Amino acid sequence: MEHPILFISLILEGLGLPVPHGFVGHTFLEQLCAPYMTYTWLVMAFLIIVSKLTLGNLEMIPGKGQNFWEIVVGGMDNFFVDNMGREMTDQFFPMIATFGLYIAVANLIGLIPGFMSPTSSINTTLALTIIVWVTHHFIGFRAHGIKYYKHFMGPMWWLVPLMLPIELISNFARLLSLSIRLFGNIMAKETLLGILFMLAGFAFAPLPIMVLGVLVSLVQAMVFVLLTVVYFAQAAEHAH
Amino acid sequence: MSGAKNEWVQLLANYGHIGFTFVACIVIGMGGGILLDTKVFNGSTTPWFTFIGLAFGIAASFKTLFDILWRVNKDVKKEDD
Repeated sequence: MEHPILFISLILEGLGLPVPHGFVGHTFLEQLCAPYMTYTWLVMAFLIIVSKLTLGNLEMIPGKGQNFWEIVVGGMDNFFVDNMGREMTDQFFPMIATFGLYIAVANLIGLIPGFMSPTSSINTTLALTIIVWVTHHFIGFRAHGIKYYKHFMGPMWWLVPLMLPIELISNFARLLSLSIRLFGNIMAKETLLGILFMLAGFAFAPLPIMVLGVLVSLVQAMVFVLLTVVYFAQAAEHAH
Repeated sequence: MSGAKNEWVQLLANYGHIGFTFVACIVIGMGGGILLDTKVFNGSTTPWFTFIGLAFGIAASFKTLFDILWRVNKDVKKEDD
């Protein structure tokens, strides 16, 4: 398959930095220059700069930029409150909303030629998932103390030998499914687009897949956020 | 976002991950069983922990499936009231 043209990698190569040609590099510098890392920084810079430009000074009567962000942030706030209550939303809104915005932008950026989605690398999605997974156990222990173990014990004491492995397996499955679903969907989109570009050239053949790509990108960001919210809410509520 | 569209996206998010979670549970259960058989007991118990892990994995996947269904039903009931 043809190598995708990633302009940041080309610039870094031009500057004489080692850009790995596989998925990850061997030395520390190569790992830092891997495409998914550089494009993660690009997405971060994009989010910071765009929000700074549009939200530089908050006004009572919102302009165009502030209106957009008020809809986005207000919509997410309503959604979180519906699913996990006011108190937890106030505590975890910055984290989950950042994840949602980052994943949405990172997914969508891969549709532009010359860019790649950082989320099409398992390293990015697994890192996000591990943060979410550890945080939901942290919330559980904070809300229930040591009694949090009752979440894994099933409804009755004589069911414990049966329910404990089942609950543990389904809990670890969250780690696997949350990371691999996002990674798989986005990588499939990128690979399919790459193959179509190679087969059909720059005719309009990849266009329908790009439309689907927009849908998949937004839905996957939405799924990640929704599941994060649900896991947090479940960890905080009482066991059975 | 409008109400109907919001609901549609939520349904997609809720049901869209059933398939993957189902598979992940079975993979983790069976993988744990194979790991116990080959690494911990060095093959002396060979088929047994694999099958037990597979059974637990399937049970766990059905449990997560019902969890999702019950949660969505609860949300729908709450909205109806």
